[in-house]
Amino acid sequence: MTLTLTRRSFTLGSAAVVGLAATAPLSRAQAMRTDRLNILCWEGYNTDDVLGPFRDRHPGATLRAESGTSDPDMINKLRAGEVNVWDLINVNQPWARGQLYPEGLIKPLDQDRFLPYFERMLPEFTAPYPLAFADDGNLIGMPQRYGPFSFVVNTDKISRATAEEQGWKLFLDPAMTSRFGILTYDNWNIIHMCLTGDLNPFKPIDEAGFETFQKTAETIFGGAKLRTDDLVAMNTALINGEIDAYFTGGTYTASPARLDGLTNIRGITPSAGPIDGKGGVVWIELTSLVNNPDPSSLAADFLEFVQEPEISKAVGFAEGTYNPVSQMGDPAVFDLWDAEELDAIQWDTLADEMSRSVEYDVVASYDELSKMYNAAKRG
Amino acid sequence: MERLDRRLGALTATPMLVLLAVTFLAPLIVVAAFSVMPSKVFSLWHQPDFSAYAELLRQGYWKSLAWSLGMALASTAILLVLCWPLAFAMAKVYRRFTLILTVGVVMSLFVSENIRLFGWVLTLMKGGLIEGYVRHLTGVGFDSLLYNVPIIVFGLVYVYLPFMLFPLAQGISMVPDDARQAAADLGASRARILWEVEVPLAAPGIVVGCLLTFVLATGAVAESKLLGGQVVVVIADEVETAFTYGQDWPLGSALAMVLIAIVGTIAVIGVNRVDLDAIMGRRR
Amino acid sequence: MTEKTILEIAGLYKRFGAFTALHSIDLEVYEGEFLTIVGPSGSGKTTLIRLFVGMDEPTDGTIWLRGRRIDTVPANQRPTCMVFQSLALFPHMTVGRNIEFPLKISGVDAATRRQRALDLLDLLHLPREYYDKRIHQCSGGERQRVALARALAFDPEILFFDEPLSALDYRLRKTLEKELKDLHARTGKTFVYITHSLEEAMVMSDRIAIMRAGRFEQIGPADEIYSRPASRFVAEFMGEVNLFPVQADDDGAVRADGLALDPGVAERLGLKAGAAGMLMVRPENVTMVNGSGAAEPGPAPEITVGGHLRAEYNLGSRLQYEVEGPSGQRLTVETLREGRFGGSPGDAVTLGWTLDRCHLIHGE
Repeated sequence: MTLTLTRRSFTLGSAAVVGLAATAPLSRAQAMRTDRLNILCWEGYNTDDVLGPFRDRHPGATLRAESGTSDPDMINKLRAGEVNVWDLINVNQPWARGQLYPEGLIKPLDQDRFLPYFERMLPEFTAPYPLAFADDGNLIGMPQRYGPFSFVVNTDKISRATAEEQGWKLFLDPAMTSRFGILTYDNWNIIHMCLTGDLNPFKPIDEAGFETFQKTAETIFGGAKLRTDDLVAMNTALINGEIDAYFTGGTYTASPARLDGLTNIRGITPSAGPIDGKGGVVWIELTSLVNNPDPSSLAADFLEFVQEPEISKAVGFAEGTYNPVSQMGDPAVFDLWDAEELDAIQWDTLADEMSRSVEYDVVASYDELSKMYNAAKRG
Repeated sequence: MERLDRRLGALTATPMLVLLAVTFLAPLIVVAAFSVMPSKVFSLWHQPDFSAYAELLRQGYWKSLAWSLGMALASTAILLVLCWPLAFAMAKVYRRFTLILTVGVVMSLFVSENIRLFGWVLTLMKGGLIEGYVRHLTGVGFDSLLYNVPIIVFGLVYVYLPFMLFPLAQGISMVPDDARQAAADLGASRARILWEVEVPLAAPGIVVGCLLTFVLATGAVAESKLLGGQVVVVIADEVETAFTYGQDWPLGSALAMVLIAIVGTIAVIGVNRVDLDAIMGRRR
Repeated sequence: MTEKTILEIAGLYKRFGAFTALHSIDLEVYEGEFLTIVGPSGSGKTTLIRLFVGMDEPTDGTIWLRGRRIDTVPANQRPTCMVFQSLALFPHMTVGRNIEFPLKISGVDAATRRQRALDLLDLLHLPREYYDKRIHQCSGGERQRVALARALAFDPEILFFDEPLSALDYRLRKTLEKELKDLHARTGKTFVYITHSLEEAMVMSDRIAIMRAGRFEQIGPADEIYSRPASRFVAEFMGEVNLFPVQADDDGAVRADGLALDPGVAERLGLKAGAAGMLMVRPENVTMVNGSGAAEPGPAPEITVGGHLRAEYNLGSRLQYEVEGPSGQRLTVETLREGRFGGSPGDAVTLGWTLDRCHLIHGE
């Protein structure tokens, strides 16, 4: 860890002053390394249950995984010059296609080696999954964890049926004032506020749309009782009755409470919405090879390793949050989940919720919306 | 000979000076350089256009800045009043207990700020330690004490207490007992002694304590996020958002530069207002 | 002197836990006098002065100032003032602001304050330019004067001093001692001064109180204390002294080891039958009876003692001789330079003095 800390303070400077061009040609000549693997990921891939078995298979290698706190935070690291450090990056689906690959921060995967894994995945992914591919047809990442992500309610206060039927309009209801929180995953909130205003966030938005968005954002921020980027704090507030629902959330945020037996905490996917009738959004993580000038052959090995049943389960059921994985299409993987665990990830309605959700994608008018969003947040 | 010594000294100090310059100044220079870049670029190879500063003025960032500075000012003032008697006791009254108090306060710093603040969340929330007990005993519950501005100020006061307490105790220990007694002997009341003798003589400690807490509190973010439920957005939060979700490094850098400039100016003024050397009687 | 009492202390006790610092102190301070309390360190003199000005509370006993009981009055309401050993000047204020401090506290307007401060600078022979100087720009002696000026600005009923000269060098101390005495005369205020230095006490005081282990051993005018000490402690504390144990048998016969008394002298000593005492004689009152060129005019000695010359010391204005007495004790003789004794170490000498130059200390 100390290595990254000192490097981080230096890299910002070196990236800017020296420039990426200077370092790349020098190191590219070297052969592929087999003694090192550095993974930048969401929490889950960095647990001993995942890393331990891989270490046993590669006893000579130094294996390090660091979890980020947000997608942009991790991507900033690569931009700041840490492409030299990391071999694998695990972020949500739009970033790989929209930013990482076009900017040359990640590189394509070997399709002969990885395409067969799609065949054993859940039906949604067998196609194979389109967002795993760049516009040029290259395979740029492997999907694993995923989950519908819209909002969360306490079903003792608001029934699932009501919540699904009202959908995003729930948060515009004057009766809900001061009865909900906002989980400040800002990029998600921008998408969800578009949906609340019946806008499609993935298409460019016009002036009238901006006006709607602004009003929606102001209404929602104005009505919220609390805001936090901490899902534990948010669940706590939901459990103790401080609030009845929170804006932006899903299986990812509700599952820890649910596994603790609080199954009245539930991620909700609206039954209808503005994008081809859909109102929910789903995130799918993609793990990609970083375009490290000094590449490690272990990176692709690890990507293959996490497709194995036990490891897939370990990734899905890491500490903190619990999530379905695309590999659950394989009975050997699915059988590793018991009934309570399946209930924690809302397996009973998962396929249904997926069918009512659209893919998390690049927000077309993100800059303008982000400004309005932040202005509304400031109050 | 002396000149040679001095030159050798300067030479020996050079590596350290270079290291300090690189580690302290380089990041600052990079941030300053980024702040003048056009919007949303990720390298410095662009024509500077200062658009980030214009953007900063157009958007309502002054609100966040005002909240940060205002809450920092409030918490600094509260801490000064709160810590004075405690620091006085540490410096002048308790002898052995001072060590225990010091160790106790320092120990609290070993626990992460976020964990300590979350402890307060569990205490103050609805169904938490306080409300839960009150409801259990009286049958009447109330809403949580969280998610408002005063609770953020409370959090700042709680977290930055040591940074006021220790410099203050140091400052008060510099007030000679004789001077206080002489003032009393010459007819000064307790309040006059405080104002005429203790405050001016403890000024270095007061200034250092106030600057530390004010600067830290201005850049604080966890208190508003955890205790305040982001009821107001602080400036450090804006910087973070600009760098991450905003993916606008120049804007984040410009915000950071404005914050550095304001806090830096206050710090320089504060240090200059109090002539430390004169108070210490060092100047001849 | 009109001996009107300004400060009266009765039965004053001060205990710190099991330690008793002051044992039943009784004292009267007269209006306008310069009283010095002298004692070795740890004798309780600082504790006593702290009770006077109100920095500490007595365990028992009372203090009256002009008939008003003040031991329960807080320090900042007592009409007394002290010059501290450390001087306790306010380092963050100019000389002028220091002097004006008590006036500012009592609400005197700025112009009057300034005039009063300038007057006090004059009184203490400090140039008026010092008004705007900072304390750390002043020398030791100047600070001393500023501290005095500040105390005088307060216009106290009694001015207390807690060894304010102890940190100064010898010459400056000597100068200031005289200035202080002069200041006392000019202001007419009552000064109560504590010191461990006898010399300081002798130069300045009207009366001296000798303190030992929380009690007064003797209180009286300087001359009286010097020449007629009430105890061996006082005798020895007040400077070089020669002491000879004397005893009267039950039949009245006086035995004094090694002393040769002229006829009739023993009876005139005033020693009661069966009692013991100490015969005290100061070195300057002893003469070398058999000195070669020392034929000093004056009355013939009535008491003599034999011994051997050990050493001669030059004290500047005087000469001091060390003589080994008959029972091996060390005796001291002092004479003016003109009265030089020409002998050399080892010579047998006889020392002598008249009865009125010595003093009998009663008791052991």
